[in-house]
Amino acid sequence: MSQKLIDAITGMREEDALAITNELLDSGVAPVDILNACKEAMEVIGKRFESGESFIPELMLAGEMMSAISDVLKPRMAEEAATEKLGKIVVGTVQGDIHDIAKDIVSFMLDLNGFEVTDLGVDVPPAKFVEAVKQTGARIVGLSGFLTLAFDPMKETVAALKSAGLTDVKVMIGGGQIDENIRQYTGADAYGKDAMAAVAIAKSWA
Amino acid sequence: MFVRPDNWNKMSPLERRKARLDAWQDAPVQFASPEAEANYKERITRLRKIYDMQPHDRPIADPFMGANEYVARRKGIQGKDMVYNHEKLREPLLEFHRDFQPDVSVGMLPYPGKSWDLLDFKLYVWGGQKLPDNLVIQAVEGEYMRPDEYKDFIADPTAFWLKQYLPRAYSALGPLSMLADFPRISESVDTIDLLVPFGLPPFQEMLRTMMEAGNELMKVLGAVGQTMGMVTAEGFPGMGLNIVKTPFDYLGDTLRGTKGILMDMYRRPNDLLAACEAYVPVLVKSIVGASDRTNAPAALYVLHKGADAFMSQEQFEKFYWPTWKQVMLALYEEGITSYLFIEGSYNNRLENLAEMPEKSLVCHFDKTDMRRVKEVLSDKFIIAGNVPASLMSAGSVDEVRAYCDDLVGLFAGTPAYIMAHGCYFENTTDEKLRAFMDSVKN
Ligand code: B12
Repeated sequence: MSQKLIDAITGMREEDALAITNELLDSGVAPVDILNACKEAMEVIGKRFESGESFIPELMLAGEMMSAISDVLKPRMAEEAATEKLGKIVVGTVQGDIHDIAKDIVSFMLDLNGFEVTDLGVDVPPAKFVEAVKQTGARIVGLSGFLTLAFDPMKETVAALKSAGLTDVKVMIGGGQIDENIRQYTGADAYGKDAMAAVAIAKSWA
Repeated sequence: MFVRPDNWNKMSPLERRKARLDAWQDAPVQFASPEAEANYKERITRLRKIYDMQPHDRPIADPFMGANEYVARRKGIQGKDMVYNHEKLREPLLEFHRDFQPDVSVGMLPYPGKSWDLLDFKLYVWGGQKLPDNLVIQAVEGEYMRPDEYKDFIADPTAFWLKQYLPRAYSALGPLSMLADFPRISESVDTIDLLVPFGLPPFQEMLRTMMEAGNELMKVLGAVGQTMGMVTAEGFPGMGLNIVKTPFDYLGDTLRGTKGILMDMYRRPNDLLAACEAYVPVLVKSIVGASDRTNAPAALYVLHKGADAFMSQEQFEKFYWPTWKQVMLALYEEGITSYLFIEGSYNNRLENLAEMPEKSLVCHFDKTDMRRVKEVLSDKFIIAGNVPASLMSAGSVDEVRAYCDDLVGLFAGTPAYIMAHGCYFENTTDEKLRAFMDSVKN
């Protein structure tokens, strides 16, 4: 039965996915099992993204389906069972920049690959990254930026982490015009071309 | 103004293209000096050969798409000035052309800050308004067409724009929603429906505001027109472009938002396709009209949501490409070249572009693999790009030069190549910009 749900999600049939979720609940399937089926579906979609079969629309729609389903499940669930995480990561689009599509994909893929992601959103000032790293104890920061105007805020964020004494925190950067030149310019530890690179870099640091 | 020759109806697309390019090339200019005239002729002749894909002495370097902000910023001009103080840009712009002697002029975009203030324009924020003074303009995305309104748009794009979209995009234009449904104005009494809004105070107030905004716009156009006239007079031709987008991007950028339109591919694919179709005749008519009015031989597409990362090849070929191709083919029939500014990477789409007829396109790349571009497209189309903004901002002079030299070498045997940036940048140095421009000369 939960295979039906997985098929609906991976087949991008939004309405079916929600209807099947409700059917499953009505027939007494435990919310945790439904959630696990969703996770399995997300992994399939993540793999397809990695192999270039799926693109932004599928990730967005999958995200929408996930949040609609968890809205249904949450009231019926006790505390979500804690799963082993690979590590904590703070992610955000840097100050002055509001491009969030790519950052959302990077967060999604990191989360799918076992990281606990704190997503600070867009237009995030350096001090907010510092604060979040201190609060979460994350050892990895991912900075996204699409504007040439993002180069300096990235550099400032790297510097702010250093001057806050967070010298063991590693920073990766990415987005539109960002490349190895900008990694050098900002003093970040790594540059990633896409969300798959973000995962690989994070895994190598975890 | 482009005047069609009498035998227009009997001309082939390439003959029409030639007629438009002739008119652009021969447009009268009052030159500042005989030297300026000689330089202009040399430049526009080379540019014409590039448009024609005919042998010429060297590639050209076009700094417009990359350096247009830097040209003003290097003289201390702020973002705010580009929106409010257009006169202030004149000296820096003239000085740049005199110092750098570019192959094509670097145009100045006439952002009408005061008109935007008067109309309370929502789609952007700008320097001196909600952005800090050092920044120019930034788009703010929103949903300006609800999903249930697709049917209104499809039935009548122009009416939708006039009565639903404009009132949302500019607060001061709210009363436009009172306008009559024009095709129903027919019988004697229908004049009443036509005129009623014009008699009502809020509508009249709007008209006054629009006239004031129009007056402010004329000042901007006057200032910018004068500056660009002086640049031309000193010997620098422009590429001759009118701006356009693809049907999918108009819907995605302006009406539905990025997320909205990408979800629509799943949630309401038929509406989305019908809306793209509805756009085609509107765009063709509008660009042909603009090309006639301005005597510009090409239409500049800024391309957003069809890039590799945004959708699969199958989705591209279903939602993005067909109606865009229809527009480009219709323009080609009218002798208008499509200049594609291809943002992001287009590695998967090169074969689609190759379907277009010879000389119908200028393809200007950002992150696309230029080696594949050469292989797939360079014998049919004019190629431009793709010096990275990162290099211009944070690279060294030698790195810029090496990157450009590589491009010149790569395209050496091809019919027409334009050295250009992949994306604009705010900051670089004069030395790096010179390295970019000199790379085509020696
Ligand atoms: C969509 C878009 C917008 C949308 C953004 C919607 C949104 N919610 O994000 C809107 C319309 C709002 C917008 C606004 C603006 N934009 Co814009 N935009 C784009 C566009 C077309 C696509 C960007 C995108 O989302 N790509 C899709 C992603 C998924 O593709 P991707 O890059 O392959 O993604 C991967 C990598 O980037 C990487 N990655 C990303 N982040 C990170 C982080 C880490 C840690 C790692 C490892 C990897 C990584 O992983 C991603 C997933 O695989 C680009 C042009 C382009 N094609 O790049 C311009 C572009 C980025 N925009 C640009 C500009 C100028 C602006 C505006 C100033 C426009 C204006 N004049 O109004 C405003 C600025 C607003 C602001 N303050 O940020 C310019 C930037 C130029 C410059 N020199 O800075 C660009 C390059 C267009 C251009 N050629 O001129 N924009």
